[in-house]
Amino acid sequence: MTAQVTQSPRIGRARGDSLRRARRSEGPLERQHRRTFWPFAAPALLFYLVLFIAPIAFAAYTSFYKWDGLSPMSNRGLNNYRILWRDPVFHTALTNTLKILIVGGVVTFVIALGLTMILREMNRGLFARSVLFFPTLVNAMVFGIAAGFLFSPSGPVDQVLHALGWQTPPQWLSTENIFPMVMGTLIWTSTGFYTAIIMAGVDQIPQYLYEAAELDGCNAWQRFRHVTLPMAWEVISVCAVLWTVSSVNIFQLILVFGGSNSNLPPADSWNTALYVYGEAFPQSSAPELGLATAAAMVALLLVAVITILLRRLMRRERIEY
Amino acid sequence: MSIAIPARGRRGRRRRTGPAVRIGGWLVWLFVILDIGLLLWTFTSSLRGNSDIMNHPFGLPGSPKFGNYAKALSDGGFGRAALNSVFTSVASSAVVIAVASPCAYVLARRRTRTSSFLSMMFVLGLGVPLQVLVIPLFIGLSKVNLTDSLYGLILVYVGLAMPFTVYLLTGFFAGVPAVLEEAAVLDGAGPVRTFLSVIVPVARGGITTAFLLQIISAWNETLFALVLLHSQDKITLPVALVNFLSTEQYDGQDWGVLFAGVCIILAPMLALFSWLGSRIIQGMTVGIGK
Repeated sequence: MTAQVTQSPRIGRARGDSLRRARRSEGPLERQHRRTFWPFAAPALLFYLVLFIAPIAFAAYTSFYKWDGLSPMSNRGLNNYRILWRDPVFHTALTNTLKILIVGGVVTFVIALGLTMILREMNRGLFARSVLFFPTLVNAMVFGIAAGFLFSPSGPVDQVLHALGWQTPPQWLSTENIFPMVMGTLIWTSTGFYTAIIMAGVDQIPQYLYEAAELDGCNAWQRFRHVTLPMAWEVISVCAVLWTVSSVNIFQLILVFGGSNSNLPPADSWNTALYVYGEAFPQSSAPELGLATAAAMVALLLVAVITILLRRLMRRERIEY
Repeated sequence: MSIAIPARGRRGRRRRTGPAVRIGGWLVWLFVILDIGLLLWTFTSSLRGNSDIMNHPFGLPGSPKFGNYAKALSDGGFGRAALNSVFTSVASSAVVIAVASPCAYVLARRRTRTSSFLSMMFVLGLGVPLQVLVIPLFIGLSKVNLTDSLYGLILVYVGLAMPFTVYLLTGFFAGVPAVLEEAAVLDGAGPVRTFLSVIVPVARGGITTAFLLQIISAWNETLFALVLLHSQDKITLPVALVNFLSTEQYDGQDWGVLFAGVCIILAPMLALFSWLGSRIIQGMTVGIGK
C-alpha cells in the first residue's frame, strides 16, 4: 500500500511525458488505443475497486475496532492484535496454516517434481497427467466426505488393514488426527495440479538438451537434476507463490472433514480461514468482527511476507533458450 | 495444444529406462488407478442402499437405487440448488468476461506507466486471501440488501474473479498480432467495432478458456456462498451439501443419498473435463506459468 502511494506522483509525471512524446509520432492505431484506454478499462477497474480494494481497506480499518456488526464500533487500537497474540486457538490456527504452507508445500512439491521426472521419462504420460489433474476441479468437500466414510472406525480402510493383519489401526478421525488427515488429503489432491503446471513448463524445454545429456551418459536422475530442474526453475517458483496463496485459502476441506457433530470442526484442526469464519459467524456467542478481520489481516501479511521471501530465495538468472 | 503436439513426435523413440524410473512409473499408475477407483466407487455407492454400503463398502449395486437421486434432489434440496449453481456460475462468468476482456485488451496494448501500474494492481490482487474479503463484503452487501440473494453472490464472484481473469486475458490479448486491428482502424472501424469483430474472434480460444475457468471456480466456491446465502430456495450446491451433512448428523448418515448429492456436484465437472480437458489444463497451466 505505502509503495503505491509514494509512487503515484512520479507515475503521473512520467505518464504526462510519455503521452506528449507519443502524441507527436503516434499512428491511427495508437491514437485509438489512447482514446479507448479509460472507457475500456473503467468497468473492470470499478468492479475491482468496489468489490476488492475497498473491502481490503475496510477490513484493515475494522481490525482496529471492537464490533459485533450491530452496535456502534468502538476503537480498540492494536488490542485485537494483542488478543490474537495471546489466544491459544489463534496460535493453533496460525501454526496449522503454516504447517499446511510449509510442510504440505514441501511434500507436495517433492512428489510433484518426482512425478515430473517420471512422467517425462514415460513419454509424458498425457492420460496419467489428466487423471492426476482432475481433483483440482472437484470441490474439496467431496474428498472430506469420502475420507470421512473410508476412514470411519471399523470402516472400509480399517477392514482392509484387518485383512492384511494390522489389528489395531490408528484412530484416523480422532481430534488430534484430523489435521494430519487433512494435510494428507490436501497433498493427494493438489499434487496433480502442480505436476501439470510444472510439466507444461518442462514441455517447453528443447529436446536436444536431453539428447546431449544422454550422450554424455547422464541417467534419469542426472537429466532431471541438470536439465529439467534449472530449465523449469522459473515455473517452479511461480508455483511456489501460487501454493502460498491457495494454501492459506483452504476452507471447506477442513470444515467438513470427518463430519464432526457440531457445525464447526474441533479447533485443533482450524486454520486462519476457519478462525475468521468462526469468530465472525459464531453459533452461540456474539460475532467478533474486529478480531476476525485482524486475524484475516495477519493471514494477508503472512502471504505477503512469504511471497516476497520466496521471490528472493528462488531468484535465479533467467536462462535463455 | 502445445502440450499434445511435441509428445506425439517422440512416441516412436525408445529410451533406456533404469529400474528406479520403472518403479516410479508403476507408482504413477497406482496413483491414477486409485483416483479413478475413488471416482467409480463414489458413483456406485450413490446407487446403493445405506446398509448395503456399510456392510460391503466395495460391493457393486445389485439393482441400482435411483431413489437416492430422487431423494437428494427433492428432500436434500439439491434440485433447486443445482439450478441456482448453474445460474450463478454462468451469469457471473458471462459478466466477468464482458467486463474483464476490454480492460485486459487495452492493458495488453497500451505500454504506458498507467497501464503497467494498473496491470500490477490486478496482479497484486491474486495474492489476497479470500478470508480478508469475506467480512467486508458480507457487511457491504447487507447494507444494500443483497445478502441471501443470488444477484449479490454473482456480484461477489465477479469481483473475486477480476484479478485472475484480467491477468489471464492480458496474456492472451498480447499474443494477438497488432497488424489485424491496424487494417481495421485504417478502414475506419471504431474502437468497439475493432474490438468486437477483429480482436475477439481471434482471441476466442483464450476467452473461452477464461470463461471455463470462471465457471469451474464459481461452481465449487463454498466460503462466500455459505456466508451469504441461507434460504432453502437460494442456496447453491456446496451449501446444500454442507446443510445436508449437518441435518444428517442428527438422524444418522444416509450414505447412499449423500453420495448421490456428491455425484450431482461432481458430474458436471467430470463432463466438462472429459469434453474440454486439454483446454482447461492448458488454461490453468500455460496461462499461469507465463
